[in-house]
Amino acid sequence: MLLDFDKLGAWKWALSAICAVMALFLLLPILFIVALSFGSSRWLIFPPPGWTLKWYEELFADPRWIGAALTSAKIGVIVMVLSVVLGLLASMALVRGTFRGRAVLRAFFLTPMVLPVVIVAVALYAAFLRLGLNGTLPGFVIAHLIVALPFAIITISGALETFDPSIEDAAILCGASPWEARLRVTLPGIRHGLFSAAIFSFLISWDEVVLAIFMASPALQTLPVKVWTTLRQDLTPVIAAASTLLVALTVILMIVAALIRKGKSE
Amino acid sequence: MLSATSGGRGSGLGFAMPAILLLLAFFVIPVAFLLMRSVTEPAPGLQNYATLLGSTTYAKIFFNTFFVAGVVTAITVLIAFPVAWALAIMPARWSAVIFAVILLSMWTNLLARTYAWMVLLQQTGLINRMLKAIGLIDQPLQLTNNLIGVTIGMVYIMLPFMILPLLGVIRKIDPAILQAAALCGATRAQALRRVLLPLAGPGLASGGLMVFVMSLGYFVTPSLLGGTANMMLAELIAQQVQSLVNWGMGGAAAFVLLVVTLGLYAVQLRFFDQAEAR
Amino acid sequence: MTTPFLHINGIRKTYGDVVATDHVELSIAEGEFMTFLGPSGSGKSTTLYILAGFQDPTAGDIRLRGQSILRTPSHKRNIGMVFQRYTLFPHLSVGENVAFPLRVRRMGQAEVAAKVKRALSLVRLDGFEDRMPARMSGGQQQRVALARALVYDPPVLLMDEPLSALDKKLREEIQFEIRRIHQETGVTILYVTHDQEEALRLSDRIAIFNRGKIEQVGTGPELYANPATHFVADFIGDSAFLSGRLASLKGGRAAIRFEGGQQIVDVPLHGAGQEGQAADLMLRPERMELTPEAGPAGASLPVTVQDITFLGNCTSVAARTDWGDALTVRLNFGHPLAGRVARGDRLNVRWSPEAAHAFVRG
Ligand SMILES: Nc1ncnc2c1ncn2[C@@H]1O[C@H](COP(=O)(O)OP(=O)(O)O)[C@@H](O)[C@H]1O
Ligand SMILES: [Mg+2]
Repeated sequence: MLLDFDKLGAWKWALSAICAVMALFLLLPILFIVALSFGSSRWLIFPPPGWTLKWYEELFADPRWIGAALTSAKIGVIVMVLSVVLGLLASMALVRGTFRGRAVLRAFFLTPMVLPVVIVAVALYAAFLRLGLNGTLPGFVIAHLIVALPFAIITISGALETFDPSIEDAAILCGASPWEARLRVTLPGIRHGLFSAAIFSFLISWDEVVLAIFMASPALQTLPVKVWTTLRQDLTPVIAAASTLLVALTVILMIVAALIRKGKSE
Repeated sequence: MLSATSGGRGSGLGFAMPAILLLLAFFVIPVAFLLMRSVTEPAPGLQNYATLLGSTTYAKIFFNTFFVAGVVTAITVLIAFPVAWALAIMPARWSAVIFAVILLSMWTNLLARTYAWMVLLQQTGLINRMLKAIGLIDQPLQLTNNLIGVTIGMVYIMLPFMILPLLGVIRKIDPAILQAAALCGATRAQALRRVLLPLAGPGLASGGLMVFVMSLGYFVTPSLLGGTANMMLAELIAQQVQSLVNWGMGGAAAFVLLVVTLGLYAVQLRFFDQAEAR
Repeated sequence: MTTPFLHINGIRKTYGDVVATDHVELSIAEGEFMTFLGPSGSGKSTTLYILAGFQDPTAGDIRLRGQSILRTPSHKRNIGMVFQRYTLFPHLSVGENVAFPLRVRRMGQAEVAAKVKRALSLVRLDGFEDRMPARMSGGQQQRVALARALVYDPPVLLMDEPLSALDKKLREEIQFEIRRIHQETGVTILYVTHDQEEALRLSDRIAIFNRGKIEQVGTGPELYANPATHFVADFIGDSAFLSGRLASLKGGRAAIRFEGGQQIVDVPLHGAGQEGQAADLMLRPERMELTPEAGPAGASLPVTVQDITFLGNCTSVAARTDWGDALTVRLNFGHPLAGRVARGDRLNVRWSPEAAHAFVRG
């Protein structure tokens, strides 16, 4: 009865109300920022006294914002590629390998995900001080790769687990060499997992802030670092404009991911 | 099962090598070095730990950390259970909408979300002005730069991490079990307390533990909404290393956080194993 | 002595302590339909996988036309296989699935198209080229898998319980198709199943597997009429087994005495035994008859009726011997006893001489 929505009586309305309030709680702050980014008040009065695009103009006129965004995009793309490649190889070992200790290796691969990022950040910061990697592109890439890789491994090995190895066997009996079978049958078979892993990895790098705060130098910083440093000074509506663009990007990527899921179910 | 072994292609461990080497070089060794510095700097010994666990300044930081994590977990669990329950059974069209909102919030940039709460909660912010407009308060409440702000911001961020796993658990419960409970004469409240809650229990426990662990080590939201006066453990680590260049203390604090996190994570794994063994 | 077309020569495969197959020895003629029949875990799939090259045997050899194929990697063996699970390539259309073996062999476009069309026509799926596998029923998917396995004219086709995921009616339909395709193409088929009816319907010969060993090889009628072991007798046909002891032995024939002193004489004995040893008398159900009057001494037994079930074309009578063994006798519709037997009746079972076999217990 409790798991039949129509048989819940008054409880049905209570549950619906809680759901609705929670959805508003999650949604309103995001909408609020979008609205403020178009509002004319520098002091972020709501509702805004008038509407304007000047915060966006300010954002695009500032080469530091543009530079930070480009840096973020560049790092994100490199991290995405490396994370999918390494994640695919690691997943093949975890799912199709026959060596002992695969469960332990899997747990090892996932630890960067469960450890607080700040520990990884401080540890890497120290290591990079010695290696001279702080404030460099490779430094950012390595740091972000460490935290993106577990997600890629989870996603890709999940896809690989649901892909029946007999299908690869069938390809081999059909005359394909083992590598040909992997390339022509297994990879296309798990392409949804690979796409998801790519999107995840990019987003993780693109949004990552704690590692980046430690790695960043005045010369090279990512978009989140720029937002962070600006935020610590004041709550300018320019950040609302930048945030709105980030929300837009999220929505686009969510739609892409949904389309991928839809493609998969067909 | 067969492919990996046929044609003498080895055990497949080689495929994992690039990832293993990457993690060894840039994760295991750096973290090990950091922890080592906690007992070697400024001089060999355990004095960093003695200071950390002995002084009232640090005691307050530990209290803040565990208190906020606990409160955030409690609130999150209280909200997430009815929401996940409703999501599991409501008509698909509605649940799809709410699900999309949850995903949107989860995927929206963390700083953007925290910024929203900084603006909403400030003295001249919307929340304070609304409370004043309806006559609940005369003076604006102090909602940022303290633990109230941190708690609100963290609940906002942690909710999806609680709802989604819980939803998975509740969806797996067979509705027939609750029909059986009703036929046995259980009222709704009895069925909730004696059947649904126990069945969802493992999900609540493991989800709650996950939120608690994540909250313990959280850095961004506490720094932005909590201010420097109400520090939490992650901020302490960053501050020791960045501002004070005290690697010994930073390493010691990191070690404490690491031990607590991994310990709770081990408990979590056992929970999952038990839940799955049933 | 001529070399057999396919020779499975003393194959043994162990996984640690588990012996999956133990000295499997079998010769298969070109064009033959050979079925491996046996319970789950008896080593049928393992034997097939060794043929396919997915597993290497611990000992033994596989020879095709006299040549060992064990050194040849799977993808160069040119063997066709249909798997138990659906193994169509999910990202490729039906046409591309069937074309796959030809494409990896770098065959020309026109030839590929013609062969794909012919293969799909063989499995009666003309015009399905552009369909995606996910949009097909299980039966259709297995037909495509069959077309894909046959399109490159392999000398041997392996099938590992290809129909086990399908429902009964569909299974019978595709069994019929497989027979037709076997006749049309003349391909040598090694077929694995645990369903005796399927094995009898399809095969030229059947190899009965039990615990990694082949117990007996023969045509269906041979196995039914002359089971070599208790296991084979039990696995093929619904037989009754009555437990007793060997009373006397002479020239491969025996007398069996049951608890209480009743004795059955002159039945063929399988397996070596001596007087006094435990043995089972097997009776085929369709050769048994139920009569109110006593039958010939030494070839009939008194029984007590336990239960009567009407099954349409026949009535099944479950009865018990005086020492407690169960047996079931069928009365055809219209049989004079059919309407009249009742629970608790004392009746006699008798049988025609070739329906009884004795097996030494051991
Ligand atoms: N990869 C393997 N590892 C260990 N044991 C196996 C493996 N494959 C099969 N076996 C064992 O070998 C025996 C025969 O299995 P199989 O050939 O699959 O039987 P069948 O196909 O007749 O059901 C079984 O006891 C099975 O448990
Ligand atoms: Mg099998």
